[in-house]
Amino acid sequence: MPEILNVLIASVIPLLFILVYAVVILWVEIKVASHVQDRLGYMYTGGFHGWAQPIADLLKLLTKEHITPERSDKILFTLAPILVFASSYAAYAALPFTSTFIAANLNIGIFYIVAITSFVVIGILMAGWSSNNKYSLLGAMRSVAQIVSYEIPTVLSILTVIVAVGTLNLQEICEIQKGGLFSWNIFKYPPFMLITFLIYFTASLAEVNRTPFDIPEAESELVAGYHTEYTGMKFAMFYLAEYANMFLVSGIAAILFFGGWSSPFGEFLAGPGWGVFWFVSKGLFFVFLQIMLRWTLPRLRVDQLMYVSWKVLTPISFVNLMVVGLWAILK
Amino acid sequence: MRQYFKNIFVAIWTILIGLKLTFKHLFVRAVTIQYPDVKLKLPDRARNRLYVNIDDCIGCRQCEMACPVDCITIETVKALPNEDLGVTSTGHKKRLWVTKFDIDISKCCYCGLCVYPCPTECIYMTDVYEFSEYNRHNLIYHFSNFTPEEAELKKKEVEQFELEQKMKKAKPAEQVTVNNPENIEKKS
Amino acid sequence: MSLFDVAFYVLAFITVGSAIVVVSSRNIIYSAFALLFTFFGVAGLYVLLNADFIAVTQVLIYVGGILVLIIFGVMLTTKVFDVPVKTETLHVGPAIVVTGAIMGTLFGVILKTKWFDILNVQWDGTTKKIGERLMTDFLLPFEVASVVLLVALLGAVIIARRERVKS
Repeated sequence: MPEILNVLIASVIPLLFILVYAVVILWVEIKVASHVQDRLGYMYTGGFHGWAQPIADLLKLLTKEHITPERSDKILFTLAPILVFASSYAAYAALPFTSTFIAANLNIGIFYIVAITSFVVIGILMAGWSSNNKYSLLGAMRSVAQIVSYEIPTVLSILTVIVAVGTLNLQEICEIQKGGLFSWNIFKYPPFMLITFLIYFTASLAEVNRTPFDIPEAESELVAGYHTEYTGMKFAMFYLAEYANMFLVSGIAAILFFGGWSSPFGEFLAGPGWGVFWFVSKGLFFVFLQIMLRWTLPRLRVDQLMYVSWKVLTPISFVNLMVVGLWAILK
Repeated sequence: MRQYFKNIFVAIWTILIGLKLTFKHLFVRAVTIQYPDVKLKLPDRARNRLYVNIDDCIGCRQCEMACPVDCITIETVKALPNEDLGVTSTGHKKRLWVTKFDIDISKCCYCGLCVYPCPTECIYMTDVYEFSEYNRHNLIYHFSNFTPEEAELKKKEVEQFELEQKMKKAKPAEQVTVNNPENIEKKS
Repeated sequence: MSLFDVAFYVLAFITVGSAIVVVSSRNIIYSAFALLFTFFGVAGLYVLLNADFIAVTQVLIYVGGILVLIIFGVMLTTKVFDVPVKTETLHVGPAIVVTGAIMGTLFGVILKTKWFDILNVQWDGTTKKIGERLMTDFLLPFEVASVVLLVALLGAVIIARRERVKS
């Protein structure tokens, strides 16, 4: 059955990518964190700058004991990490890695990603409630409140791009921006696309619970937020989903504003192979920016968080959408 | 309204300044020292593990007395008249066998108070600071040349000798005391 | 059985199975979470019917919006999830009549409708068509729906706003 085989191959490639990427980014995160603080980070495991440490960490997590709290809700407790990881993995189906590979070339690609990631919200709520732990529940509540309110500026800024390009298909969005650096969306409708990008990046940081919007996992207040009670493989699933989401929002930023797999030099260094390189390196650049921001900015308070979302990002992105829409019609 | 836009501008601007700072620090040389491979030079008078040069010890117990946490235990046995223990490197004559000189280093507070009173300068701080052990008993250092059995033997020998001495002294005295109590004072 | 059939039966099983859990569970939180899988299954069925836009909207609105609201409501209402929910049958006679009537109507509709095989029809994206229809033929219902949403929004703001004490 070649049909099933095709489906399997297409679905396994993003999973492999997530696993390899997670190992790399774990290492990068620790190394960046320590070098920003003028430290070295781990240096021994595996030889060069402790490159094997994340692999060792993952193996340790795999072999650790599964501890289920006695008073927790067993079914939901087991289901939550699976749901969270599955939904962020499902979103990878619509990411065009290169001009010839996309797991599912959907007509409504970006809309699908926005919708499928809302399963993460339910998974987080499930984890927080089933753990039967006040820190978990508080973390889950905060996380969901944050994700739901920041979804509005995110979707509005994505909509601005959609209005500008006129398609929901991520592959087509990449095709449109093919002609080198200055045909990228970020340089269209100056300076409104730049503002859109800033709004999208800020809101997406909040969507993936990264600093400065990390009050759901605030170590100093909530232990670890909604995954406080999780151990071993289940914890690893949450961890993996978090890092997968980081690349997901960065990848979408790269596709919507920075041309996805298209080369910045037009036809030079273009092609399917180079496409993967450009897309992944653009995505990783934004992941790197997220990591750098983590060590630059302090955590926001809850009222500041809501202020940023409802009084700054949402109105500005709305005005932005109107202006870009008008401009697109008049053109 | 002006304040609102100014705030947004300031926010973005200060984030960029912060990012510049963290980015600079990304390339600053790390201050970390890879400890077991690279070690800092200790100051000259650093106080670390105690060491006793037992050959120079005269068993005066001054260090034991000085120790504020009682981590030094010394037992001595008098040398017999026919035994010559020699002299220390500082020229003191040794009159006692040091049968036990134990330092419980896990109690030691590295104050160095035991070092100063020592007349022969045989107890001192070294610069060794890596001496962790899996077993707590290994932290009791035995500096004496005597094993417990040998120490016991020595003690017995001395007791024997003292007993003999006493017998020698006591015998004439006994006779006197029985006959004439006043004679004791004259004799002694 | 083709891949399409397998997908259909799996999705139908998920939809119906989780819907049964929704109505029969004694724990209200379980009902709320089982609703998630019902919505997911329905979205999957829409996908099989080539209604991609509707499917994604279903997930976005129902899972991302309404279900979160339901679960939040249940969690924030203290002690609700400790109270066992009654799911026993009351008024057996009238219930049979009503469900029988609904069943009959549904069967009638199913039997009378002229079905066509969607597998043989080539579909392109529905998004553009839906947009065009909403902005031309169905502009009035669309606007009415948005006015209703606006009213709901204003109502929420008024309820949430703190009453100012007159000094």
